Amino acid sequence: MLQEINLEIAEGEFICLVGPSGCGKSTLINLIAGLEMPTSGRVLVDGVPVAGPGTDRVVVFQEAALFPWLNVQQNVEFGLKMAGMPAEKRKERSAEYLRMVHLSRFVDAYPHQLSGGMKQRVAIARSLAMDPKILLMDEPFAALDAQTRQLLHQELLEIWQQTRKTIFFVTHNVREATVLGDKVLTISARPGRLKKGFAIHLPRPRRESDPHLIVIQQRILLSLQEEIAKVVKDEDMDYLIEKEAGRSIDGPTIGGAL
Amino acid sequence: MKAVRWAREHLLPWVVFLAVWEILSYVLPIPSSLRILHLGWGDVTNPGFASALVSSLGRMVVGFTAATGLGICLGMLIGQYRTVDNILGTLASALNAMPGAAWVPLAIFLFGLNQKAVIFTIVLGATGVVMLNTSFGIKDVPPLLIRAARTMGASGPSLFWHVIIPAATPRIIDGLRLAWAFGWRALMAGELLISSVNGMGQLLSTVAKQGNIEQLLAYMGILALIGMTVDGLIFNRLIGDRLRARRGTA
Repeated sequence: MLQEINLEIAEGEFICLVGPSGCGKSTLINLIAGLEMPTSGRVLVDGVPVAGPGTDRVVVFQEAALFPWLNVQQNVEFGLKMAGMPAEKRKERSAEYLRMVHLSRFVDAYPHQLSGGMKQRVAIARSLAMDPKILLMDEPFAALDAQTRQLLHQELLEIWQQTRKTIFFVTHNVREATVLGDKVLTISARPGRLKKGFAIHLPRPRRESDPHLIVIQQRILLSLQEEIAKVVKDEDMDYLIEKEAGRSIDGPTIGGAL
Repeated sequence: MKAVRWAREHLLPWVVFLAVWEILSYVLPIPSSLRILHLGWGDVTNPGFASALVSSLGRMVVGFTAATGLGICLGMLIGQYRTVDNILGTLASALNAMPGAAWVPLAIFLFGLNQKAVIFTIVLGATGVVMLNTSFGIKDVPPLLIRAARTMGASGPSLFWHVIIPAATPRIIDGLRLAWAFGWRALMAGELLISSVNGMGQLLSTVAKQGNIEQLLAYMGILALIGMTVDGLIFNRLIGDRLRARRGTA
């Protein structure tokens, strides 16, 4: 799936990775998180190889993945409880991070009572409460409407400026990437390889319609265009092969003799 | 207002049903519904009846508790370990497919005509459905929740008790609810075939042999009422509604 990925993330950096769907962006997140193991190569955090999931690398998923049987506060405290932190201290810590995502009033609510954006904010608070070295975000705002997404961009940037966490943010949305990141990386499709890096030095908060930003967005899109074309072509060819296979068994053999 | 609505939705159908029945009993050769109600009310205050009901319910509680304990433990193992699933999974399906009453002859052969045989019937009639629901509940836990929990430091036993079991709880409760229904049927099958044991089954077969159909129908009505109460009140209201309200799956 992924090949020759050489990626270094410095402490405190906000890095965005953009690429077409199905190019292995989520796989890369899973590798860093330790949820999947690489077939070759290593992932190092502070020079130590990743051997499995660890609380120094927490993931915010596209679906908030909150526990429906726990209320907001208990959700935020989940990881702290796993770490054996006493209840008093857990409560303090969860209150602090819920204040940071402006959800102090909803400590007793259950996930189904929250909107999509609120759920994602709880997920962010839950991850930050673990005080990880790096926050991994796998298309966290992809399922939200445009207004909510903008609001959360602002909130995430404020949080990042307050906590100075390292953030690795994966998205297929080029504008989102340029609004947020210090650096935007593009990834190629099949096999997934890191393609280009674009450093963005514009001050925050950035406007999506800022002409400087649009220039960068255009360059990123250009870099991605060939990849998207590749994916579409691949899918078309699959389609042709399927049709052939349906018509006769003597059709072209795929992947050598069967 | 609420009471009026409740009465209209829950009481009115019964009043209509019993009234139509009562009217028909004047024309057709069927027993009077009011007479059956009257008999039923008399039974509730009769010590002989109470002792029969209490011994039946006692057996039910023992059998249900054993079936639940056994079913949940085995179901957890099946859901969690593939090897256990390979060995016990089909067995659980087979157990679940077996009508409870079919265990009675074997129960009599093993224990004789006594209440142990009745309890054995309840346990085997109810364990399968608990096992299956528990194991399915565990297998169906959304993988995303497990991945999220793992990145937050949960693994092994903490993952099992803090994520997998809570996520599977609604399914496990479904299993218990069905186990009560299956156990209730198995209890009656057992008591009817082993009528030397004091209980509701014995009462039913005695009045049926006497040809006392009105009394028989009164007893049956009481059995139905108990079954409905446990299912509706305990499993649906007290446990199910709370669980669903909290998780927003109502």
